[in-house]
Amino acid sequence: MKKEHPLFLCIKNSYLGQSWLVILLSIFFGFTLSGVQAFLQEKIDTNKSNQSMRIVPTLVPGAVTGKSVTVGDLTVYEALNQNNKRAGWVIPARGQGFADKIEILIGLTPDASSLSGLSVLNQKETPGLGSRITESSWLSQFIGKGTTDSLTPTKNPVPSKNEIRAITGATISSFSICQIVNENVKKFRAELRKQQADP
Amino acid sequence: MSKENPTALERFIWGIIPENPIFRQVLGTCPALAVSTDIKAALTMTCATAFVLICANTIISLIRHLLKPHLRIVVFVLTIASFVTIVDYLLAAFYYSMSLQLGPYVPLIIVNCIIICRCEVCASKQSVGVAISDAIGQSLGFGLALVSMASFREILGSGTWCGFRIMPDSWPNWVLMLLPPGAFFVFGFLIGAVNWFTSLKKNKSS
Amino acid sequence: MIHVSPSPHYPGKSRTSSMMMRDVLIALIPCVLMAVYVFRSHAVFQIAVCVASCLASEAIFSLMRGKKIPLRDGSAAVTGVILALSLPWSAPWYVGVIGSFVAIGIGKIIYGGLGQNVFNPAMVGRAFVMINFPVALGASAYVSSGTGIHIITQATPLTAAKLTAQVSGLWPLFLGTCNGSLGEVSALACLIGGLYLCFRRTASWEIPAGIFLSVIILGGVANMVSIHKQITVLHHLFSGALFFGAFFIATDPVTSPLTPLGKWIFGIGLGFFIMMIRLFSGYPEGVMFAVLLMNGCVPIINRYTIPVPVGGPVPEKKVS
Repeated sequence: MKKEHPLFLCIKNSYLGQSWLVILLSIFFGFTLSGVQAFLQEKIDTNKSNQSMRIVPTLVPGAVTGKSVTVGDLTVYEALNQNNKRAGWVIPARGQGFADKIEILIGLTPDASSLSGLSVLNQKETPGLGSRITESSWLSQFIGKGTTDSLTPTKNPVPSKNEIRAITGATISSFSICQIVNENVKKFRAELRKQQADP
Repeated sequence: MSKENPTALERFIWGIIPENPIFRQVLGTCPALAVSTDIKAALTMTCATAFVLICANTIISLIRHLLKPHLRIVVFVLTIASFVTIVDYLLAAFYYSMSLQLGPYVPLIIVNCIIICRCEVCASKQSVGVAISDAIGQSLGFGLALVSMASFREILGSGTWCGFRIMPDSWPNWVLMLLPPGAFFVFGFLIGAVNWFTSLKKNKSS
Repeated sequence: MIHVSPSPHYPGKSRTSSMMMRDVLIALIPCVLMAVYVFRSHAVFQIAVCVASCLASEAIFSLMRGKKIPLRDGSAAVTGVILALSLPWSAPWYVGVIGSFVAIGIGKIIYGGLGQNVFNPAMVGRAFVMINFPVALGASAYVSSGTGIHIITQATPLTAAKLTAQVSGLWPLFLGTCNGSLGEVSALACLIGGLYLCFRRTASWEIPAGIFLSVIILGGVANMVSIHKQITVLHHLFSGALFFGAFFIATDPVTSPLTPLGKWIFGIGLGFFIMMIRLFSGYPEGVMFAVLLMNGCVPIINRYTIPVPVGGPVPEKKVS
């Protein structure tokens, strides 16, 4: 066996001698990653804000953008029209569905007296059944419903004023959506009234 | 298949069927089960994994003489994690809807055993050319498995293939196929089918 | 398959598997008659589809494994009838066919055939189609107004109780003049067939007894604390698949424990899961999932209920 110089052995067994490759690679990859991030972060951010801002105008007619405000202890979006005036409200809400938590956005008229739109952000309901709560044809029946009374799902083909046609085979998912809308709209209206009475 | 130093071509061919990462080594089953509900997601997952696998294999093969045995796993994971982060950023920037759909499964490529296994088995021992062809072969095998599983699940579960309707409109969607148990059923049947074909071949040759 | 039980073993004529299966088929006659009386041609159609496809898949899968076709023991026919009786009247033909294929193929043959399966084949098949085709087997599949059969214009009793807190009368529940799956509508028909099975000792009486005991206790507790006072213990007993499941599904000798104590544990656990699913889950009925869950526990139950042999416990072998 070749005899190695003691100084060489000392360096070889030192901390740096063992780990120099890992350290060099970490520095190299660190720079690469920060480069990639600097290059792409802007695009990712626009993607993200597009995602939520694209939804706001579909929930409140006439709105072009939205801004985050606090009403009471709730954080909601205020939808603004072209003249920067309030066009309505968008309330993020979540609640228990059939399988998992459902996250929705509720659009309201400026005085919060009726619903102007509804959109499902996140759901894990049964594919093909409960997942049909995301279909716009089903969600569109919420538009124009008053917020003074609670909404209830029904099996009637022709729903009355405060009824929502339930999805066949997904009564519980339909019920959950109504429940989430009812609870959150009620809470928001109470906060809004409190704020208006005591500005 | 237990030769000391297989050639690039052998590595490439082995990756596709004889040592298919999913059906033969049963590695990387997490993405195979979770991201095989439709073809588009499966293809995106395959491309992401292939990118990470090829890059990681190349880097590891280039520095293979500098590796210390007791620190090699740290180097593997460092390399893999960096490329996975890059893929994650690329997806979020250029294919945002798919990035949302895949969710946590892109960052989870870091713990995909196929990649660390290829780094250990091939890239840390053989030259760059062999390592790259091994990575391509394994990626093709991975893609083959994912796409075949996704085909079954999407056709049975939604009546479509890659978004195109191919079943008649009266087709009753097999909801189970879109749920996790369906993935296990399809996975089991495909492993069984691959084994059956192999045993047929063996019987014929002997 | 021979009748499996701990010693003492004795050979009896009534213990071969084909004799047992014939007993089960005889015991199912009241349920089948009731189903045909209530649902007319729908019931005949379901039973024919399920039995035919069960026999066909048994033949196909046995041939694939290179074995003789064991159709003569009648177990495939029993699986077919039980599967058919657990389906809603409106299930389309493919539900029966796919259910039977899964029941025989994945539920039985994959494990090595009759006597080796861990889970009740008919329930495996039903669980598969239930999750696979929720529209064809969900609560809405039971209700229809255009067929001329009166009782299927109402929701099933358990669905009605779950969603709108409506309660149906006890007599219709007991006799079977209310909506439900084909075989489960009449508690009386299941009771007649079930008692026959218990007297023939083809089914062990401990299992249904354990189920009824825990359903009565838990149903009583639920009735006391619930706001819907009108849903009584008797409603829990007579509605849904409870009688059918207790006598025909849970008592399958292959997938239930061997010892009397084990059978009691099995039955009580089953009743517990049935009530938990009925009270707290999204499903109105839980017999199927409860049976599958308890089937999975059978090996453990068997392991811990080995009876002490005559003459005291076997001394542990010392390692010398």
